[in-house]
Amino acid sequence: MAKKNEVTRRQFLNYSLTGVGGFMAAGMLMPMVRFAIDPLLKEGAKQDFVPVMDTSEITNKPVRKEFKIDQVDGWYESEVTQSAWVYKDEKDEIVALSPVCKHLGCTVDWSSNPAYPDQFFCPCHAGRYTKDGMNVPGTPPLAPLDVYNKKVQDGKLYLGKPEPR
Amino acid sequence: MRWTESDIAIYEKEREYVDTAVLPLIPISMTSSVKTTVSMGEYISIISGELERQLKGRLLLMPAFTYLQTENSESRVERLKQVEEELYQGGIKHIITLSADVEWKQSEAQLSSALLWMPAIPLEHMDEQYKMETVSAQVKQVLQFVTNTWQSNTNS
Repeated sequence: MAKKNEVTRRQFLNYSLTGVGGFMAAGMLMPMVRFAIDPLLKEGAKQDFVPVMDTSEITNKPVRKEFKIDQVDGWYESEVTQSAWVYKDEKDEIVALSPVCKHLGCTVDWSSNPAYPDQFFCPCHAGRYTKDGMNVPGTPPLAPLDVYNKKVQDGKLYLGKPEPR
Repeated sequence: MRWTESDIAIYEKEREYVDTAVLPLIPISMTSSVKTTVSMGEYISIISGELERQLKGRLLLMPAFTYLQTENSESRVERLKQVEEELYQGGIKHIITLSADVEWKQSEAQLSSALLWMPAIPLEHMDEQYKMETVSAQVKQVLQFVTNTWQSNTNS
């Protein structure tokens, strides 16, 4: 005679089948779900900020600063040199502009053309930008210079990615 | 612009703006003074790469012109002239050849390109910061040379 709490053969088989089946289903579904949501998880990876210079060195005259970032280009991983024009504007805020000309990608120079001492000048096709990075109409570039994402920490300026305006 | 498919696509579109080719001259030797030969080539590659980065919009960085150290100068010059000819045909107006090999200096008069000779600086033992400064100082001079070439031709 079976006691009240005793598990019957039928119940035992039911339980163990659900258990084992559940594990198998989970084993199959887990990787699928993981693959499906993987792009979402990846987007969390953030662009690293790179220390560039001490904030105390920054004046209202643009200076060019070079720094290196890691770049993965297909299967080829390399260190790339990037530059930024760094200065303080009238409101004493730090500005970091990308020196890459929006025309065809030359490197622009600050006040290198004697005729336009207070502008960024592109030596390739005489493109010009005002100090705040706006393109001068009538010269080849059609967009203002990109601005770097930046943050200040412990008296150092960190730059991230250049963003178009 | 570099010798890659994506850059050449832009070049095809913006031909009128790109009128200058940079041609590094790189020697090859596997038997004698290999290290010196390599250091010349490496240095010139670095300089021309930097030059391309700074003046991307008007320069086309060509694959290097390579030659054996043992090749005599007539035959080198002859081959280089053919390359120059091809580039001019393709619409290039200025060709800038970069070399660390002093032998080219002697054949300079026979070439129609602007030859820029500079001694190779051994970068091997320099630390990263100093290396960057050295190279960017050199590149600055080269830039000056290139922009002068452009100006002298627009004025004339």
